[in-house]
Amino acid sequence: MLDSKIPSGSIESKWTQRKFENKLVNPANRRKHTVLVVGTGLAGASAAASLAEQGYKVKVFTYHESPRRAHSIAAQGGINAAKNYQNDGDSIQRLFYDTIKGGDYRAREANVYRLAEVSVNIIDQCVAQGVPFAREYGGTLTNRSFGGTQVSRTFYAKGQTGQQLLIGAYSSLMRQVGEKTIELFSRHEMLDLIMSDGKARGIVTRNLVNGEITTHTGDAVLLCTGGYSNVFFLSTNAKASNATAAWRAYKRGAYMANPCFTQIHPTCIPVSGDHQSKLTLMSESLRNDGRVWVPKKEGDNRSPDKIAEDERDYYLERIYPAFGNLVPRDVASRAAKRMCDEGRGVGKSKLAVYLDFQESIQRMGEGKVREKYGNLFQMYEKITDENPYKVPMRIFPAVHYVMGGLWIDYNLMSNIPGLFVLGEANFSDHGANRLGASALMQGLADGYFVAPYSVGNYLGSEKLSPIKSDSDAVKSTSQAVQERLETFKKVKGNQSAETLHRKLGKIMWDKCGMARNEKGLKEAITQIKSLKDEFWNTLWVPQDDKCLSSEIEKAGRVADFIELGEVMCLDALERKESCGGHFREEMQTPEGETLRDDDNFSHVAAWEFTGDKPKLHKEPLKFEHAHIAQRNYK
Amino acid sequence: MASIKLFLKSSVGRKFLVGITGLGLSGFVLTHMAGNMLMFVGPEAYNTYGHKLITNPFIYIAEVGLLAIFFVHMGLALCLALENKKARALAPSQKPSNCEKDARLGSRYMVHTGILVFVFVVLHLITFKYGPYYPVSYHGVEMRDLHRLIVENFKSPLYSGWYLFSMVILFSHLVHGFSASFQSLGFFSVRNCLIKKMGWAFAFIIAGGFFIQPIYGYFYGGN
Amino acid sequence: MKLHLKIWRQNGPSAPGNFKDYEMDHVSADMSFLEMLDVLNVTLVKKGETPIEFDHDCREGICGSCALMINGNAHGPDTGTATCQLHMRRFKENDTIVIEPWRAKAFPVIKDLATDRTAFDRIMAAGGYISVNTGNAPEANSNLVGKDTSERAMDAAACIGCGACVAACKNSSAMLFVSAKVSHLAQLPQGAPERAKRVRGMVTQMDQEGFGNCSNTGACEAACPKEIKLENITRLNREMVRAAFTE
Repeated sequence: MLDSKIPSGSIESKWTQRKFENKLVNPANRRKHTVLVVGTGLAGASAAASLAEQGYKVKVFTYHESPRRAHSIAAQGGINAAKNYQNDGDSIQRLFYDTIKGGDYRAREANVYRLAEVSVNIIDQCVAQGVPFAREYGGTLTNRSFGGTQVSRTFYAKGQTGQQLLIGAYSSLMRQVGEKTIELFSRHEMLDLIMSDGKARGIVTRNLVNGEITTHTGDAVLLCTGGYSNVFFLSTNAKASNATAAWRAYKRGAYMANPCFTQIHPTCIPVSGDHQSKLTLMSESLRNDGRVWVPKKEGDNRSPDKIAEDERDYYLERIYPAFGNLVPRDVASRAAKRMCDEGRGVGKSKLAVYLDFQESIQRMGEGKVREKYGNLFQMYEKITDENPYKVPMRIFPAVHYVMGGLWIDYNLMSNIPGLFVLGEANFSDHGANRLGASALMQGLADGYFVAPYSVGNYLGSEKLSPIKSDSDAVKSTSQAVQERLETFKKVKGNQSAETLHRKLGKIMWDKCGMARNEKGLKEAITQIKSLKDEFWNTLWVPQDDKCLSSEIEKAGRVADFIELGEVMCLDALERKESCGGHFREEMQTPEGETLRDDDNFSHVAAWEFTGDKPKLHKEPLKFEHAHIAQRNYK
Repeated sequence: MASIKLFLKSSVGRKFLVGITGLGLSGFVLTHMAGNMLMFVGPEAYNTYGHKLITNPFIYIAEVGLLAIFFVHMGLALCLALENKKARALAPSQKPSNCEKDARLGSRYMVHTGILVFVFVVLHLITFKYGPYYPVSYHGVEMRDLHRLIVENFKSPLYSGWYLFSMVILFSHLVHGFSASFQSLGFFSVRNCLIKKMGWAFAFIIAGGFFIQPIYGYFYGGN
Repeated sequence: MKLHLKIWRQNGPSAPGNFKDYEMDHVSADMSFLEMLDVLNVTLVKKGETPIEFDHDCREGICGSCALMINGNAHGPDTGTATCQLHMRRFKENDTIVIEPWRAKAFPVIKDLATDRTAFDRIMAAGGYISVNTGNAPEANSNLVGKDTSERAMDAAACIGCGACVAACKNSSAMLFVSAKVSHLAQLPQGAPERAKRVRGMVTQMDQEGFGNCSNTGACEAACPKEIKLENITRLNREMVRAAFTE
């Protein structure tokens, strides 16, 4: 059975209680333990640095050439924290409640409360590292508001918050590398998990520069490998973002939880053609000052300046007067989709809505708008060749984040002892929908303030026998990786992995995207199965794998995405309710909003790999502190 | 002490020395140019100034100091330039980068202009300091008639041409060198408007001052 | 749009490289430069040829992975733009485009257009941080930092570590990169206690990595996709002088 290991006691005391219960490792003994950290985004870099500071021997792996290239860097808008610096009624309690509600009551209460609790420490830590958060003239920190909340609790560094936070974590990581407490393996991709006595004891990596397969053993493995939005091919994730590390762990027995929970971000730059390789996000913070609209008339082809004020439908303000343009992401995305479905979409493709800044420019002047959003406007102009100070932006929803991920307990440990999962790679804190500026918060909370305690507790309480590098477990896993690489080479077809990936993306977006239904999901599963055959019959990779070869890297990742896509569709099919980002057309209110089925689906769906059809385990969700209600942003 | 040693060994420290010696040399050319202006007052003023300078006992200390500054400036700059060449690593079929077109013009040729200035200085010393001795007396004091030597040389179009060319080279070296020194010393960026203008002004004054001398000598001198 | 490409191909760090010609047809003006290379690679795979390796990841101009010398310009002809943000509308029918990797001894070529820029990481490890252990931080608002100071620090911190400054510099100097980090941290009160140690460590490591010396030409600033200012180099020099007189 799934044991979430939530501490007893009141919600406010749970984390304190757990920290006290935790076993500790004597400082002199810490250096005898090796911890393997995979991934160097916010979660990975912060966890690695924190553990090394405590005295553990840490090995860090990234497929990037430098830890600083991890995709956390692309987060723009900000990071939430319940500091209540604005005196506007924020508190740990409110951040907790907003996150639970925003997640449509599909997150674990205790985890979310802890997240809200440590959020304040994150800001302190980052400021001490030199993160240049925006400030008031008096020298104190300033905040802005973000979608899904009614307080200003978001800290930001221009439109580059993720970059600045990652550089903070990266610099802490590099400090430990300099002090030789961390050994850094860049351009190394994890391709399998080594298990011994049912525990995670190591990983197999491929050196991307020379193709060398190496094994690394240790006492605990931390997967901080991000999300799998790229299963849709087109997403706002970086090109290399992938599910392989998590998926390899799944195939070694770790459960995959709520894989169908994906977040579609409402403000992305629309697709421009078949060549499109990825989508670019425009920070959600733009919705603070931009107004979303479409023409009232169907098929209105006039340029936006020709459409008079009374011919425009500011639909978010109309439908959700209380939250207006600041409704949560899933709500805003679906509303945009509905407008386009009604034939009121704009732009050449008709798959876009306007985000208009005219009113803000008139109200606060172009200079002020430039100061707040200058770099975002510039980015928009570079990509679209349109000046958003003059013409409204065209935006459309795009896959952005996955709430699903490997199942973990309260201690961030998966059902495999010794395998910890941090950041977006785990499933726990955002339920069925994540609020803006909460991903950075979760990654850093896990890495700085949770994992160091949990990993210490595990190492302090488990009796771990030493694992030899020539043991059977190590050798057989390494061999499995070798063999898999060979099978890619043997196909000798004529399609690149990317071509096949695009096909998968289309199936997923059409049938398992913003709106899902039983028929579509069943079709998708059949289509993915035949795509899998196509993959293994038509793939081409170069025969020389002893050098840098992005085709070989992509082949492995796409093969895993195809398998993951199938499980996502299965999960979406199984969850016959609508909640957060998961919208089943069969389950909606008369106004087209999500309709939850709390009686049957108030649980975490954790999937176990069996070789055949995955097996479903359910972890029931109990809400003792947050009052369950239909989400209402009107 | 250790930190000063580390500083002087570092690239930044050596650039600092190139900058500060460069400014020292700039100071020298400025006084040299100003002194030379006495040639417009007349041979007596000019020669007397030269005589006073040469007979001052501190002149040897000053000359040694100047020589040291000169060689530190040149030696370090050449050593840095050699390192720079090594750091570049271009394959034979690759052309140098285009980005440098955005760089300040003079900045790309500092080594070239520097070497030309060095050649000029050596020839200049041979021509004048170690050139023919023409005696002249004012108020009973015998001294060297440098004015005559200068005018004689400037009468030659070839020499005047070379001299003018060298001043153009010096101008280019100073335009970048002057403002860049301030960047190397950590005062102003070369993008700083004021320092940029000062660099141009300084180079213009120096080169301009030296420019009018051969022209004057060629057309009017000696009659 | 029809284009002629001359692309640097090199099999490995020690293999000799050379330019290879490729013809592209039907290039859409809306494509990004990297998407154009994606399309080329798909056609190469169809023909069973080895695709061109190039570094890229976020394609939003922030991760600093992409690094192409396009017609002799680091990140191409536009100012303040990383390669991934460059679009084909900047080119004309029948243009010849020369594409090369970054060129510096400290950035050896790994394959084709991909180079090894880990020298930057080693410089960071030599001092590009504020030493604060997790849990050790004081309350965030206990350190007041003026808005202007904070913004200046932010402007320096915007560096994405792509290495365009090195590629653009005739000396392959890493001064702009190092100075951006030094400036960012030296201006903040949090970074003050280890100012001297930081700049000494980073400059020493920079020199050891085999980067050239700064000639104050400003080519780095012109090439920087994040428009990091040359003033940072001045500040780095100042910090270094200051450090010379600090034990």
